[in-house]
Amino acid sequence: MNFWGRTFFWMILTLLTGLVATAQTDSTVSKRGPYTLVITAGGGLSYYATHLGVPPPLEQLRVSRFGMPATLRVMWHPDHRLRIGLETGWVPMYSYRGVAAGKSARVNVDAIPILLVFSMPLAWLSGTERSLARRLSISGGTGAYLVQSRLRYAGTVAESQTSLGWMVAGAYTQPIGRYVRVAAELKWLNATTTEDGVVTAQLQLVWRAFSW
Amino acid sequence: MKTRCYLSTLLLLSLLGCQRDYEAPVPYTFADNPGAGQFTASVRQRMEGVYAVTAGNSQFGEQVAVKWTYGMNGPDTTHYLSVFTGTDVGYFNFEVVKADTMTLTGYWRKLVNTETGRARLSVKTTRNGQVRPYRGQLTEGDTLVLDGAFSEKTAEPSQSLRLAYRRPLNTEPFAILAHRGGGRTSDLLPTSENSLDMIKLASRLGATGIEIDVRYTKDGVPILYHDNTLNLRLIQKNGLKGSIENYTYQQLTTLVRLINGERIPTLEEALETVVSKTPLSFVWLDTKYIGPMDKMQVLQQKFRQRAAQLGRTLQIVIGLPTQNAINSYKALADKSNTPILCELDTAITRSLNAKIWAPRWTLGPQTNQVLAMKAEGRTVFVWTLDEPRFIDEFINQGQFNGILSNYSPAVAYYHYTRQP
Repeated sequence: MNFWGRTFFWMILTLLTGLVATAQTDSTVSKRGPYTLVITAGGGLSYYATHLGVPPPLEQLRVSRFGMPATLRVMWHPDHRLRIGLETGWVPMYSYRGVAAGKSARVNVDAIPILLVFSMPLAWLSGTERSLARRLSISGGTGAYLVQSRLRYAGTVAESQTSLGWMVAGAYTQPIGRYVRVAAELKWLNATTTEDGVVTAQLQLVWRAFSW
Repeated sequence: MKTRCYLSTLLLLSLLGCQRDYEAPVPYTFADNPGAGQFTASVRQRMEGVYAVTAGNSQFGEQVAVKWTYGMNGPDTTHYLSVFTGTDVGYFNFEVVKADTMTLTGYWRKLVNTETGRARLSVKTTRNGQVRPYRGQLTEGDTLVLDGAFSEKTAEPSQSLRLAYRRPLNTEPFAILAHRGGGRTSDLLPTSENSLDMIKLASRLGATGIEIDVRYTKDGVPILYHDNTLNLRLIQKNGLKGSIENYTYQQLTTLVRLINGERIPTLEEALETVVSKTPLSFVWLDTKYIGPMDKMQVLQQKFRQRAAQLGRTLQIVIGLPTQNAINSYKALADKSNTPILCELDTAITRSLNAKIWAPRWTLGPQTNQVLAMKAEGRTVFVWTLDEPRFIDEFINQGQFNGILSNYSPAVAYYHYTRQP
């Protein structure tokens, strides 16, 4: 089994373990539920916030730390506060261009995160549906980033490296219908091995896809 | 309120815990002036030896080995004094301060940690407890003394350092082979591993030879690089990822810099540096790639010839660490004038008729096999041995002809202070 296979296996195993553990938990409530599968898709603006390395010989240098990330998250919302799910997407890290030895050079770095995410609303049973604390949530996750580089200089080289990493996020969710909500999320994505860190601000569409 | 306090403390601890505090910048800038000033060849020869540390021994141990070395730059030769300590893989590097004095300045470093500092030494003699400046002559009853001071980090040297001559260095032939061109980037040396600057530094770290890692670029240029990918352990951050073999030499030389800012050198540049700028006598070309060996063979033969023309004793051997490398060697059309070193077992070494056998040190002393190989006229090295206790043990057993190590100052210390 290769790295991705192993990663996927452990993520699924963790999810299933969580499901079983939840199912076996003693409860004062006679009937459990409802459980919901929530799919979140978002996009917005990212800013590369860690040290950025550029080769010294490059002249007429232009660096861009901004990008437009897109993420997709599938979360299981049980009948208690802690939620679990998977997140992936595409996150631009940074790019630079310049001239070296009379030739133009351009490098783009981006990442595909594959993260196991835990999320929790700040309030649960307290307050009303309209209270702010019930609409605010925090998330954290860990997993792998497939960090990709694309060099265009005397030819093109597209390469990638797998990096361990994590993310933390805070979000506000506004209900706009029975199944659909919109959210604004501020998120820090960090690929540890490659020392890449990005802060993103995203507008998200939240769809309560299934309930049981 | 309590919760806020706990959270603030936790945040502070996390921030402090993430801070990097692992650096050992060289606290002294070398002028690298050519020549040796008052340190004539005879003075340098007289100075080399095993010294007792009579002041500064709590920091550097009870005895040290003192040895001169040099670097070349065209017609100029610059002499340096190295002192190898038996404590924490420590060493000193000195240069001649002023041409008209017998004073040396430089720095010290311990490779197992980040301890470093400045140092200076003057050559003196003692007789009946009286210390006098050394005038180039020793009469009976005189003891040569290297007297000076050392400091921590960049402070002006003020703590007393005194070395008193005990006996000559061990002169038995022994190869002190420095890994990755002279040392590892991770040991916070002032130059990056497998760089030209590291090769120039190697002899000042005690090495008599080096091992360098050879790979090929996409367009077939043999270069020096250890890992199979571009990564932050070896290069400065530039965004580029993936296998080094997928980049052309032009792309690498333009856009990639090693950790300390050097370019990735070609094998040709590296061998040119060995021949024209160092006193090194052995180069082990470690085959880190899978593919044809002909370009490496051409360069090996070219620089062996160059060294011979210059009257240099220089062995350049191709290391065969894997069956793939052996297959590449076997595929060479002409294997004459192509010395090899085999890292696999004795049977394979014999079948290839390799003149050098180099087993890994974790296999132990392998006394019977080592003696058998030596009896057949082969040289036996062991790799990559960094643990000072085992370096001492292997050297004192006297079986091997040399040790490949990331800690050449430790190998130098145990070899030169050994009493046969």
